[in-house]
Amino acid sequence: MADGKIMSVENNLTKRDFIGVFWRSFTLLGSFNYERMEGLGFLYALSPILKKIYKNEPEKLKEAMHRHLKAFNMTVAPAPFVMGISIAMEEMSKKGEDFDTNSINSVKSALMGPLSGIGDTFFWGIFRIIACAIAVGFAQDGNPLAPLILLLLFNIPNFLTRWFGLFIGYKNGSKILEDLESSGKMKLFTFCAGIVGVASIGCMIAFWVNITSPLQFNIAGSDIIIQDYLNQIMPRLLPLTATLIVYGCVKKKISVIKIILGIVVVGFLLGVFGILG
Amino acid sequence: MTLIQAILIGCVAALSQFEGGWLGECKLREPIVTGFLVGLILGDMKTGLIIGAELQLIWMGATGIGPTAQLDIGTGGTIGAAIAIATGTGVETAIAFGLPIAIIMQFIHTMMLTAYSGLMIVVDKKIDEGKFGYIFGIHALCGGMDFLMYSLLTFMALFFGNDLIESMVNGLPDWANSGLTAVAAILPAMGFALLLNIILEKDLIPFFIIGFILAAYSGIGYTMVGIAALAGAIAWIIFILKSSNASSPVLKSAQNDEWEDD
Repeated sequence: MADGKIMSVENNLTKRDFIGVFWRSFTLLGSFNYERMEGLGFLYALSPILKKIYKNEPEKLKEAMHRHLKAFNMTVAPAPFVMGISIAMEEMSKKGEDFDTNSINSVKSALMGPLSGIGDTFFWGIFRIIACAIAVGFAQDGNPLAPLILLLLFNIPNFLTRWFGLFIGYKNGSKILEDLESSGKMKLFTFCAGIVGVASIGCMIAFWVNITSPLQFNIAGSDIIIQDYLNQIMPRLLPLTATLIVYGCVKKKISVIKIILGIVVVGFLLGVFGILG
Repeated sequence: MTLIQAILIGCVAALSQFEGGWLGECKLREPIVTGFLVGLILGDMKTGLIIGAELQLIWMGATGIGPTAQLDIGTGGTIGAAIAIATGTGVETAIAFGLPIAIIMQFIHTMMLTAYSGLMIVVDKKIDEGKFGYIFGIHALCGGMDFLMYSLLTFMALFFGNDLIESMVNGLPDWANSGLTAVAAILPAMGFALLLNIILEKDLIPFFIIGFILAAYSGIGYTMVGIAALAGAIAWIIFILKSSNASSPVLKSAQNDEWEDD
């Protein structure tokens, strides 16, 4: 059976054990809190494998469990990659007497930033917006396929990243990271992903932010329609302007709640007086 | 709204929270999905989808990264869509109710996350005692609390607040409606601004301009995929050019410096 395939002879870890970690990794955020963040979820995912590795060493097992209950936080999809690396390192720790167990948590902490950066760019910046953007078109027509399209487009990359991340992380995670970091390809990769992300956002602002002005004046018998003039400067000028103003506010670290309140008050007044619609 | 419908919608709200914690952020919380489910429950799937699509655009950028989540779009979208369908009104109503709920629920959730922090010390203690069953026990307790809290609050708001909500919606004067329409038009801009905040850096600005201009001047709503594919091709070319540079040792150090700058 493929499921029974041995992944690690010395600790008798089978593919089935890894599949267990894969499924458990989906609950990573299940007990998110401000002290350990995803710590308990991480420990929950790893605990069966830890029990196997330290089968005859109860004290070391407890140590290992405390180790993985420490604070951990990252975008969830690439997290199984870190779990793979952690398993490999725990095995090294069991084998070598002079292995510094602190290095396990240093590696985990070191990965949080860069992997979350890549994960955010891909999952929030690309997969989510493209999945949502395509689904919105269907949903606006009332097509019941819309939620299915959204879920599939987002979750196929989500599942694949988790599955391959776990195994690649276990087999040669540390080596890959070294290569990527030292060659500068990690940043290049994130940058190139960003190209797709920002181009799509620019596109969506033009298509889906529908701010127009109903203002019109009658001067000397001829109608002056403000929106026509705006269109001559550039189509979709108002959506772009509004987005850039809000972006400026976000950049100035004004809290999102305040921005929302601002939009509600200003937008409401502009709407009541017929300036925007 | 019947008792059963209110209970089922409570479950949709709980599910929209549960997917983040227990189903690997599989996006059941997106308004298109919750709108669809709520529409199905209330017997008007089509309206549910259309309202879901509008809410989706507004909350495109509300991703809630890490511990600094900003808006609970799951519950806000569910309740907003439910009220809009039940009162036979449009997306303005969904926003008028959904937005404050998304803010309030986020606040409540923040308090719950603080409370869960206290449980972590318990896990530490139980590990020392060798009672490893508590790892799953407490992990699941947090998830269960979430589910209960979200389904109960949503159920109560919809079932007991029904009459109040209806009289509020029907009492809205025309001028207030045009104000809400304008708010609904501007809010999507916030979603995209938040998204830009995640990924935009100085060197990416040209690509943002290209995406916007292509879409603004073509004006065809379904070219989105084409523009994304075009951007993907450009990204690919740049990756090939830059990474072949990076492999030449002389250029490598200069390359690294350049990327260090941002």
